[in-house]
Amino acid sequence: MDVQINAALNGIKNLRASVSNIFETAITAEGTFLLEESIACVTQNFKETETCINNLNAPSVPFTLGNTSYLNYETDLEKQNMYNELVNGYKWYEKTHQYSAIASTLLQHNSLKRSYFSSSNKRRRLLTGAHTVPPKHVDHLISTFNVNNMQLKIYRPFATNAFLHINLSRVLKAAIILRGLMIEWVTVKGFNESLDNVDDHWSESRYEVFRRVQKAAHSAMLHFYSPTFAELAIRSFITWFGSYSTLFSEPCKMCGKHLLNALPPTHRDVRSLDPTHEECRK
Amino acid sequence: MGVTILVPYPLDNKKTGPEVVEELSKRLLAMQATQTGHFLVDGDVFESSFNKTKIHVMHNSEYPASVFSILDNGQKQIPLITDLIFDLLMLKVNPIYASRKQLKIESKGPRFELGDFLVKLGSVTMSQSQTFKGLLIEVDYRPCLIPIICWELIREFLQGFLGQYSPTTIPVYFTNSVPNPHHPVPYQKSNDTYQPIDTVQQYLEHFNNYRKQTIALMMGPNK
Repeated sequence: MDVQINAALNGIKNLRASVSNIFETAITAEGTFLLEESIACVTQNFKETETCINNLNAPSVPFTLGNTSYLNYETDLEKQNMYNELVNGYKWYEKTHQYSAIASTLLQHNSLKRSYFSSSNKRRRLLTGAHTVPPKHVDHLISTFNVNNMQLKIYRPFATNAFLHINLSRVLKAAIILRGLMIEWVTVKGFNESLDNVDDHWSESRYEVFRRVQKAAHSAMLHFYSPTFAELAIRSFITWFGSYSTLFSEPCKMCGKHLLNALPPTHRDVRSLDPTHEECRK
Repeated sequence: MGVTILVPYPLDNKKTGPEVVEELSKRLLAMQATQTGHFLVDGDVFESSFNKTKIHVMHNSEYPASVFSILDNGQKQIPLITDLIFDLLMLKVNPIYASRKQLKIESKGPRFELGDFLVKLGSVTMSQSQTFKGLLIEVDYRPCLIPIICWELIREFLQGFLGQYSPTTIPVYFTNSVPNPHHPVPYQKSNDTYQPIDTVQQYLEHFNNYRKQTIALMMGPNK
Protein backbone atom coordinates (compact mmCIF):
# COMPACT_ATOMS: atom_id res chain seq x y z
CA MET A 1 0.00 0.00 0.00
CA ASP A 2 2.73 2.43 1.04
CA VAL A 3 4.71 1.63 -2.08
CA GLN A 4 1.76 2.37 -4.31
CA ILE A 5 1.04 5.68 -2.62
CA ASN A 6 4.68 6.66 -2.93
CA ALA A 7 4.70 5.74 -6.62
CA ALA A 8 1.56 7.80 -7.21
CA LEU A 9 3.00 10.80 -5.39
CA ASN A 10 6.19 10.54 -7.42
CA GLY A 11 4.16 10.38 -10.61
CA ILE A 12 2.35 13.58 -9.67
CA LYS A 13 5.63 15.26 -8.86
CA ASN A 14 7.05 14.32 -12.28
CA LEU A 15 3.90 15.51 -14.01
CA ARG A 16 4.11 18.88 -12.30
CA ALA A 17 7.79 19.23 -13.16
CA SER A 18 7.18 18.49 -16.83
CA VAL A 19 4.25 20.93 -17.00
CA SER A 20 6.31 23.76 -15.58
CA ASN A 21 9.02 22.74 -18.03
CA ILE A 22 6.57 23.42 -20.90
CA PHE A 23 5.97 26.97 -19.76
CA GLU A 24 9.69 27.60 -19.39
CA THR A 25 10.39 26.36 -22.92
CA ALA A 26 7.47 28.37 -24.26
CA ILE A 27 9.01 31.56 -22.87
CA THR A 28 12.62 30.99 -23.90
CA ALA A 29 12.69 28.62 -26.87
CA GLU A 30 12.12 29.89 -30.37
CA GLY A 31 11.40 26.73 -32.33
CA THR A 32 8.36 24.52 -31.84
CA PHE A 33 10.43 21.35 -31.81
CA LEU A 34 11.41 21.65 -28.16
CA LEU A 35 7.86 22.48 -27.19
CA GLU A 36 6.54 19.38 -28.91
CA GLU A 37 9.06 17.27 -27.08
CA SER A 38 7.98 18.67 -23.72
CA ILE A 39 4.33 18.10 -24.48
CA ALA A 40 5.11 14.47 -25.36
CA CYS A 41 6.87 14.21 -22.02
CA VAL A 42 3.80 15.56 -20.20
CA THR A 43 1.50 13.07 -21.93
CA GLN A 44 3.81 10.25 -20.95
CA ASN A 45 3.93 11.39 -17.31
CA PHE A 46 0.18 11.84 -17.26
CA LYS A 47 -0.36 8.26 -18.40
CA GLU A 48 2.02 6.97 -15.74
CA THR A 49 0.27 8.92 -13.01
CA GLU A 50 -3.07 7.64 -14.19
CA THR A 51 -2.01 4.01 -14.04
CA CYS A 52 -0.54 4.60 -10.56
CA ILE A 53 -3.80 6.10 -9.36
CA ASN A 54 -5.81 3.27 -10.86
CA ASN A 55 -3.69 0.82 -8.92
CA LEU A 56 -4.65 2.46 -5.64
CA ASN A 57 -7.50 0.95 -3.66
CA ALA A 58 -9.68 3.02 -1.45
CA PRO A 59 -9.05 2.18 2.21
CA SER A 60 -11.74 -0.15 3.48
CA VAL A 61 -11.87 1.29 6.99
CA PRO A 62 -11.55 5.01 7.73
CA PHE A 63 -8.24 6.09 9.30
CA THR A 64 -8.44 6.31 13.03
CA LEU A 65 -6.78 9.49 14.01
CA GLY A 66 -7.54 9.13 17.69
CA ASN A 67 -7.96 12.33 19.59
CA THR A 68 -6.35 14.31 16.80
CA SER A 69 -9.57 14.09 14.83
CA TYR A 70 -11.08 16.56 17.28
CA LEU A 71 -8.67 19.11 15.87
CA ASN A 72 -11.01 19.26 12.87
CA TYR A 73 -13.58 21.01 15.03
CA GLU A 74 -11.09 23.70 15.95
CA THR A 75 -12.27 27.05 14.64
CA ASP A 76 -9.47 29.28 15.89
CA LEU A 77 -7.15 29.95 12.91
CA GLU A 78 -4.03 30.12 15.05
CA LYS A 79 -4.69 26.72 16.51
CA GLN A 80 -5.22 25.02 13.19
CA ASN A 81 -1.48 24.74 12.74
CA MET A 82 -1.36 22.43 15.71
CA TYR A 83 -1.80 19.39 13.54
CA ASN A 84 1.53 19.93 11.77
CA GLU A 85 3.29 20.39 15.05
CA LEU A 86 1.67 17.27 16.35
CA VAL A 87 2.93 15.25 13.40
CA ASN A 88 6.45 16.61 13.87
CA GLY A 89 6.31 15.77 17.54
CA TYR A 90 5.21 12.27 16.71
CA LYS A 91 8.06 11.79 14.23
CA TRP A 92 10.59 13.04 16.78
CA TYR A 93 9.24 10.65 19.37
CA GLU A 94 9.49 7.73 16.95
CA LYS A 95 13.14 8.58 16.28
CA THR A 96 13.98 8.81 19.97
CA HIS A 97 12.43 5.44 20.47
CA GLN A 98 14.46 3.95 17.63
CA TYR A 99 17.74 5.47 18.81
CA SER A 100 17.23 4.43 22.41
CA ALA A 101 16.60 0.87 21.29
CA ILE A 102 19.90 0.86 19.39
CA ALA A 103 21.73 2.48 22.29
CA SER A 104 20.43 -0.06 24.75
CA THR A 105 21.63 -3.00 22.64
CA LEU A 106 25.04 -1.32 22.31
CA LEU A 107 25.30 -0.73 26.03
CA GLN A 108 24.42 -4.32 26.79
CA HIS A 109 27.42 -5.44 24.76
CA ASN A 110 29.73 -3.09 26.61
CA SER A 111 31.27 -4.27 29.85
CA LEU A 112 32.04 -0.90 31.44
CA LYS A 113 30.36 -1.87 34.66
CA ARG A 114 31.91 -0.42 37.78
CA SER A 115 29.99 -2.50 40.32
CA TYR A 116 28.33 -5.84 40.86
CA PHE A 117 24.94 -4.32 41.04
CA SER A 118 22.25 -6.06 39.10
CA SER A 119 18.58 -5.55 39.64
CA SER A 120 17.59 -9.18 39.24
CA ASN A 121 19.83 -10.43 42.01
CA LYS A 122 17.73 -9.42 44.99
CA ARG A 123 19.30 -11.48 47.72
CA ARG A 124 22.96 -11.11 46.79
CA ARG A 125 25.72 -11.80 49.22
CA LEU A 126 28.21 -9.13 50.20
CA LEU A 127 31.20 -9.36 47.93
CA THR A 128 34.59 -7.99 48.78
CA GLY A 129 35.12 -5.48 46.01
CA ALA A 130 38.25 -3.82 44.72
CA HIS A 131 37.38 -0.75 46.75
CA THR A 132 37.64 -2.44 50.16
CA VAL A 133 41.28 -3.47 50.16
CA PRO A 134 43.35 -2.81 53.31
CA PRO A 135 45.92 0.01 52.91
CA LYS A 136 48.80 -2.33 53.66
CA HIS A 137 47.93 -4.46 50.69
CA VAL A 138 47.74 -1.39 48.44
CA ASP A 139 51.14 -0.18 49.64
CA HIS A 140 52.66 -3.56 49.08
CA LEU A 141 51.23 -3.89 45.60
CA ILE A 142 52.37 -0.43 44.54
CA SER A 143 55.88 -1.06 45.86
CA THR A 144 56.14 -3.99 43.44
CA PHE A 145 55.53 -1.80 40.39
CA ASN A 146 58.68 -1.21 38.45
CA VAL A 147 58.31 0.85 35.30
CA ASN A 148 61.22 2.57 33.58
CA ASN A 149 61.66 6.27 34.31
CA MET A 150 58.74 6.28 36.72
CA GLN A 151 58.84 7.39 40.34
CA LEU A 152 55.87 6.47 42.51
CA LYS A 153 54.89 7.97 45.83
CA ILE A 154 51.89 7.34 48.04
CA TYR A 155 50.06 10.06 49.97
CA ARG A 156 47.05 9.60 52.16
CA PRO A 157 45.54 13.03 52.75
CA PHE A 158 42.09 11.52 53.32
CA ALA A 159 42.56 8.68 55.79
CA THR A 160 42.73 5.29 54.09
CA ASN A 161 42.41 6.03 50.40
CA ALA A 162 45.70 6.53 48.63
CA PHE A 163 46.82 9.25 46.23
CA LEU A 164 49.47 7.84 43.98
CA HIS A 165 51.83 10.50 42.68
CA ILE A 166 53.79 9.67 39.55
CA ASN A 167 56.80 11.53 38.21
CA LEU A 168 57.41 10.35 34.70
CA SER A 169 60.93 10.99 33.41
CA ARG A 170 60.96 14.82 33.64
CA VAL A 171 58.06 14.86 31.18
CA LEU A 172 54.95 14.98 33.30
CA LYS A 173 53.46 14.54 36.73
CA ALA A 174 50.32 12.62 37.46
CA ALA A 175 48.17 11.79 40.43
CA ILE A 176 46.04 8.68 40.57
CA ILE A 177 43.33 8.76 43.18
CA LEU A 178 42.57 5.27 44.39
CA ARG A 179 39.69 3.83 46.30
CA GLY A 180 41.08 0.60 47.58
CA LEU A 181 42.62 -0.68 44.37
CA MET A 182 40.07 0.94 42.11
CA ILE A 183 41.22 3.97 40.13
CA GLU A 184 38.74 6.75 40.69
CA TRP A 185 40.41 9.74 39.08
CA VAL A 186 43.56 10.61 37.18
CA THR A 187 45.08 14.09 36.99
CA VAL A 188 47.88 14.83 34.56
CA LYS A 189 50.02 17.95 34.88
CA GLY A 190 53.18 19.41 33.43
CA PHE A 191 56.54 18.80 35.03
CA ASN A 192 56.65 22.42 36.21
CA GLU A 193 53.09 22.51 37.52
CA SER A 194 52.21 21.98 41.14
CA LEU A 195 50.42 18.93 42.55
CA ASP A 196 51.24 19.57 46.21
CA ASN A 197 47.92 21.00 47.23
CA VAL A 198 44.88 18.70 47.38
CA ASP A 199 42.91 21.20 45.28
CA ASP A 200 45.43 20.84 42.46
CA HIS A 201 44.07 17.36 41.83
CA TRP A 202 40.81 18.74 40.53
CA SER A 203 42.10 21.57 38.37
CA GLU A 204 43.12 20.97 34.79
CA SER A 205 46.60 21.46 33.45
CA ARG A 206 47.56 24.82 31.98
CA TYR A 207 48.76 23.09 28.81
CA GLU A 208 46.57 21.61 26.09
CA VAL A 209 48.83 18.60 25.65
CA PHE A 210 48.41 17.40 29.25
CA ARG A 211 44.68 17.98 29.14
CA ARG A 212 44.59 15.61 26.16
CA VAL A 213 46.73 13.07 27.99
CA GLN A 214 44.36 13.27 30.95
CA LYS A 215 41.40 12.53 28.71
CA ALA A 216 43.20 9.55 27.23
CA ALA A 217 44.08 8.37 30.74
CA HIS A 218 40.44 8.54 31.79
CA SER A 219 39.32 6.38 28.91
CA ALA A 220 42.18 3.95 29.56
CA MET A 221 41.20 3.78 33.22
CA LEU A 222 37.74 2.61 32.17
CA HIS A 223 39.18 0.30 29.56
CA PHE A 224 41.45 -1.54 31.99
CA TYR A 225 38.93 -1.64 34.79
CA SER A 226 37.73 -5.03 35.91
CA PRO A 227 35.84 -5.65 39.14
CA THR A 228 37.34 -9.09 39.70
CA PHE A 229 41.00 -8.55 38.72
CA ALA A 230 41.67 -5.21 40.37
CA GLU A 231 45.42 -5.81 40.72
CA LEU A 232 45.80 -6.65 37.08
CA ALA A 233 43.76 -3.58 36.14
CA ILE A 234 45.96 -1.14 38.05
CA ARG A 235 49.13 -2.87 36.91
CA SER A 236 48.16 -2.65 33.24
CA PHE A 237 47.13 0.97 33.69
CA ILE A 238 50.50 1.89 35.20
CA THR A 239 52.37 0.06 32.43
CA TRP A 240 50.27 1.80 29.82
CA PHE A 241 50.84 5.17 31.50
CA GLY A 242 54.60 4.56 31.53
CA SER A 243 54.58 4.77 27.73
CA TYR A 244 54.04 8.53 28.04
CA SER A 245 57.69 9.00 28.98
CA THR A 246 58.28 9.54 25.24
CA LEU A 247 55.41 11.99 24.88
CA PHE A 248 57.55 14.70 23.28
CA SER A 249 60.28 12.63 21.70
CA GLU A 250 58.52 9.89 19.75
CA PRO A 251 56.69 10.66 16.49
CA CYS A 252 53.24 9.31 15.58
CA LYS A 253 53.25 5.71 14.33
CA MET A 254 50.61 6.48 11.72
CA CYS A 255 51.74 9.71 10.07
CA GLY A 256 55.39 9.68 11.16
CA LYS A 257 55.21 13.31 12.28
CA HIS A 258 55.66 14.86 15.69
CA LEU A 259 53.05 17.56 15.40
CA LEU A 260 49.44 17.64 14.29
CA ASN A 261 47.45 20.77 15.12
CA ALA A 262 50.42 21.90 17.24
CA LEU A 263 50.10 18.82 19.47
CA PRO A 264 52.43 15.83 19.83
CA PRO A 265 50.95 12.29 19.65
CA THR A 266 48.88 12.27 22.85
CA HIS A 267 47.26 8.90 22.34
CA ARG A 268 48.82 5.55 23.25
CA ASP A 269 47.40 2.30 22.02
CA VAL A 270 46.17 0.21 24.95
CA ARG A 271 47.75 -2.99 23.64
CA SER A 272 50.81 -2.10 21.59
CA LEU A 273 51.52 1.21 23.43
CA ASP A 274 52.17 2.81 20.04
CA PRO A 275 52.02 6.60 20.07
CA THR A 276 49.51 8.15 17.67
CA HIS A 277 47.78 11.46 17.28
CA GLU A 278 44.18 11.45 18.38
CA GLU A 279 43.12 12.26 14.83
CA CYS A 280 45.39 9.59 13.26
CA ARG A 281 44.23 6.55 15.17
CA LYS A 282 41.75 4.25 13.55
CA MET B 1 57.94 28.73 30.54
CA GLY B 2 59.42 25.90 28.56
CA VAL B 3 62.20 25.19 26.15
CA THR B 4 62.89 28.25 24.02
CA ILE B 5 64.81 28.21 20.78
CA LEU B 6 66.08 31.44 19.30
CA VAL B 7 66.65 31.52 15.56
CA PRO B 8 68.05 34.43 13.55
CA TYR B 9 66.04 34.87 10.36
CA PRO B 10 68.25 35.69 7.37
CA LEU B 11 67.16 38.72 5.37
CA ASP B 12 67.80 38.91 1.69
CA ASN B 13 67.91 42.34 0.16
CA LYS B 14 64.53 41.95 -1.53
CA LYS B 15 62.48 42.55 1.57
CA THR B 16 62.78 44.92 4.51
CA GLY B 17 62.45 43.85 8.14
CA PRO B 18 58.87 45.07 8.69
CA GLU B 19 57.78 43.35 5.47
CA VAL B 20 59.17 40.02 6.62
CA VAL B 21 57.57 40.42 10.06
CA GLU B 22 54.24 41.07 8.39
CA GLU B 23 54.61 38.07 6.12
CA LEU B 24 55.48 35.77 9.03
CA SER B 25 52.63 37.20 11.11
CA LYS B 26 50.21 36.41 8.31
CA ARG B 27 51.61 32.90 8.08
CA LEU B 28 51.11 32.40 11.83
CA LEU B 29 47.57 33.74 11.74
CA ALA B 30 46.82 31.35 8.88
CA MET B 31 48.05 28.54 11.13
CA GLN B 32 45.27 29.52 13.60
CA ALA B 33 47.61 31.33 15.99
CA THR B 34 46.30 34.20 18.07
CA GLN B 35 48.25 37.39 18.64
CA THR B 36 48.67 38.12 22.33
CA GLY B 37 50.28 41.52 22.54
CA HIS B 38 53.90 42.45 22.07
CA PHE B 39 57.19 41.61 23.72
CA LEU B 40 60.50 43.30 24.36
CA VAL B 41 63.93 42.01 25.27
CA ASP B 42 66.64 44.60 25.78
CA GLY B 43 70.31 44.51 26.69
CA ASP B 44 72.61 47.19 28.10
CA VAL B 45 76.36 46.97 28.45
CA PHE B 46 78.27 48.43 31.38
CA GLU B 47 82.02 48.36 31.11
CA SER B 48 84.50 48.68 33.93
CA SER B 49 87.01 51.46 33.47
CA PHE B 50 89.80 49.37 35.07
CA ASN B 51 89.91 45.88 33.70
CA LYS B 52 87.45 45.90 30.78
CA THR B 53 85.07 43.60 32.63
CA LYS B 54 81.59 43.88 31.19
CA ILE B 55 78.20 43.57 32.83
CA HIS B 56 75.32 42.84 30.49
CA VAL B 57 72.06 43.99 32.05
CA MET B 58 69.04 42.54 30.29
CA HIS B 59 65.26 42.65 30.66
CA ASN B 60 62.69 40.28 29.26
CA SER B 61 59.03 41.30 29.13
CA GLU B 62 58.08 37.68 29.80
CA TYR B 63 59.58 38.14 33.31
CA PRO B 64 58.68 41.75 34.03
CA ALA B 65 59.79 41.75 37.68
CA SER B 66 63.31 40.52 37.07
CA VAL B 67 66.60 41.90 35.83
CA PHE B 68 69.04 39.44 34.32
CA SER B 69 72.66 40.44 34.53
CA ILE B 70 75.65 38.58 33.21
CA LEU B 71 79.16 39.40 34.34
CA ASP B 72 81.60 38.77 31.54
CA ASN B 73 85.35 38.97 32.10
CA GLY B 74 86.26 37.58 28.72
CA GLN B 75 86.74 33.98 29.83
CA LYS B 76 83.77 33.26 32.00
CA GLN B 77 80.17 34.38 32.21
CA ILE B 78 78.45 34.60 35.58
CA PRO B 79 74.67 35.04 35.47
CA LEU B 80 72.66 36.74 38.19
CA ILE B 81 68.88 37.17 38.46
CA THR B 82 67.66 40.04 40.62
CA ASP B 83 64.67 42.29 41.28
CA LEU B 84 64.07 45.43 39.24
CA ILE B 85 65.86 47.61 41.78
CA PHE B 86 69.15 46.30 40.38
CA ASP B 87 68.80 48.92 37.62
CA LEU B 88 69.10 51.69 40.21
CA LEU B 89 72.15 50.05 41.70
CA MET B 90 73.83 50.11 38.30
CA LEU B 91 73.23 53.87 38.17
CA LYS B 92 74.97 54.25 41.53
CA VAL B 93 78.10 52.47 40.37
CA ASN B 94 78.18 54.57 37.24
CA PRO B 95 81.68 56.00 37.78
CA ILE B 96 83.18 52.51 37.86
CA TYR B 97 80.91 50.70 35.47
CA ALA B 98 80.08 53.15 32.71
CA SER B 99 77.10 52.52 30.46
CA ARG B 100 77.91 52.10 26.77
CA LYS B 101 74.81 53.75 25.32
CA GLN B 102 75.68 53.07 21.70
CA LEU B 103 75.79 49.32 22.40
CA LYS B 104 72.25 49.20 23.80
CA ILE B 105 70.30 46.71 21.75
CA GLU B 106 66.73 45.49 21.84
CA SER B 107 64.48 43.01 20.14
CA LYS B 108 60.75 43.70 20.01
CA GLY B 109 57.71 42.73 18.04
CA PRO B 110 54.46 40.78 18.12
CA ARG B 111 53.89 37.73 20.32
CA PHE B 112 51.72 34.82 19.15
CA GLU B 113 50.21 31.81 20.83
CA LEU B 114 49.53 28.62 18.90
CA GLY B 115 48.32 25.78 21.09
CA ASP B 116 51.11 25.26 23.60
CA PHE B 117 53.62 27.11 21.43
CA LEU B 118 54.64 30.71 21.93
CA VAL B 119 56.16 32.48 18.95
CA LYS B 120 57.79 35.90 19.05
CA LEU B 121 58.95 37.80 16.01
CA GLY B 122 61.58 40.25 17.18
CA SER B 123 63.08 43.05 15.13
CA VAL B 124 66.49 43.88 16.52
CA THR B 125 67.41 47.55 16.74
CA MET B 126 70.59 49.03 18.13
CA SER B 127 71.62 52.22 19.99
CA GLN B 128 69.45 55.30 20.32
CA SER B 129 69.30 55.80 16.58
CA GLN B 130 67.25 52.54 16.39
CA THR B 131 69.17 51.14 13.45
CA PHE B 132 67.59 47.93 12.24
CA LYS B 133 69.96 44.96 12.57
CA GLY B 134 67.97 41.84 11.81
CA LEU B 135 65.24 39.47 12.88
CA LEU B 136 65.30 37.05 15.81
CA ILE B 137 62.55 34.47 16.03
CA GLU B 138 61.82 32.93 19.39
CA VAL B 139 59.83 29.71 19.67
CA ASP B 140 58.84 28.53 23.12
CA TYR B 141 57.31 25.10 23.69
CA ARG B 142 55.85 25.61 27.13
CA PRO B 143 54.94 22.10 28.37
CA CYS B 144 58.45 20.66 28.04
CA LEU B 145 61.49 21.60 30.12
CA ILE B 146 64.27 19.41 28.73
CA PRO B 147 65.68 20.68 25.42
CA ILE B 148 66.97 17.34 24.17
CA ILE B 149 63.56 15.67 24.62
CA CYS B 150 61.55 18.09 22.54
CA TRP B 151 64.13 19.43 20.07
CA GLU B 152 62.85 17.23 17.23
CA LEU B 153 59.33 18.45 17.89
CA ILE B 154 60.36 22.10 17.90
CA ARG B 155 62.46 21.54 14.77
CA GLU B 156 59.38 20.19 13.01
CA PHE B 157 57.39 23.21 14.12
CA LEU B 158 60.10 25.58 12.87
CA GLN B 159 60.25 23.73 9.59
CA GLY B 160 56.53 24.13 9.09
CA PHE B 161 56.71 27.80 9.82
CA LEU B 162 60.06 29.03 8.49
CA GLY B 163 60.50 26.57 5.62
CA GLN B 164 63.99 26.59 4.15
CA TYR B 165 65.32 29.03 6.75
CA SER B 166 64.67 26.69 9.65
CA PRO B 167 67.70 25.31 11.53
CA THR B 168 68.54 21.61 11.17
CA THR B 169 70.56 21.19 14.35
CA ILE B 170 69.98 22.30 17.91
CA PRO B 171 71.65 25.70 18.62
CA VAL B 172 75.28 25.47 19.75
CA TYR B 173 74.32 27.06 23.05
CA PHE B 174 72.75 23.75 24.13
CA THR B 175 75.47 21.41 22.92
CA ASN B 176 78.53 23.13 24.43
CA SER B 177 79.74 20.53 26.86
CA VAL B 178 81.36 21.47 30.14
CA PRO B 179 83.41 18.89 32.08
CA ASN B 180 81.50 17.77 35.13
CA PRO B 181 83.64 17.12 38.25
CA HIS B 182 80.93 15.01 39.89
CA HIS B 183 80.02 12.86 36.96
CA PRO B 184 81.94 11.11 34.17
CA VAL B 185 79.56 12.43 31.48
CA PRO B 186 80.24 16.08 30.63
CA TYR B 187 77.49 18.52 31.44
CA GLN B 188 75.36 19.71 28.55
CA LYS B 189 72.66 22.34 28.66
CA SER B 190 70.48 20.26 26.35
CA ASN B 191 70.03 17.60 29.01
CA ASP B 192 69.27 19.94 31.89
CA THR B 193 66.08 21.61 33.07
CA TYR B 194 65.49 24.79 31.11
CA GLN B 195 65.69 28.07 33.07
CA PRO B 196 64.60 31.62 32.16
CA ILE B 197 68.27 32.67 32.19
CA ASP B 198 68.87 30.29 29.27
CA THR B 199 66.58 32.38 27.09
CA VAL B 200 68.41 35.54 28.12
CA GLN B 201 71.81 33.99 27.47
CA GLN B 202 70.71 32.94 23.98
CA TYR B 203 69.63 36.52 23.34
CA LEU B 204 72.96 37.78 24.65
CA GLU B 205 74.87 35.56 22.23
CA HIS B 206 72.93 36.91 19.27
CA PHE B 207 73.10 40.49 20.54
CA ASN B 208 76.89 40.20 20.85
CA ASN B 209 77.08 38.94 17.27
CA TYR B 210 75.15 41.99 16.06
CA ARG B 211 77.41 44.25 18.13
CA LYS B 212 80.53 42.67 16.65
CA GLN B 213 79.17 43.14 13.12
CA THR B 214 78.44 46.81 13.81
CA ILE B 215 81.86 47.46 15.32
CA ALA B 216 83.50 45.71 12.38
CA LEU B 217 81.53 47.93 9.99
CA MET B 218 82.51 51.07 11.89
CA MET B 219 86.18 50.04 11.97
CA GLY B 220 86.14 49.00 8.33
CA PRO B 221 86.61 52.32 6.55
CA ASN B 222 89.43 53.41 8.93
CA LYS B 223 91.62 50.45 8.08
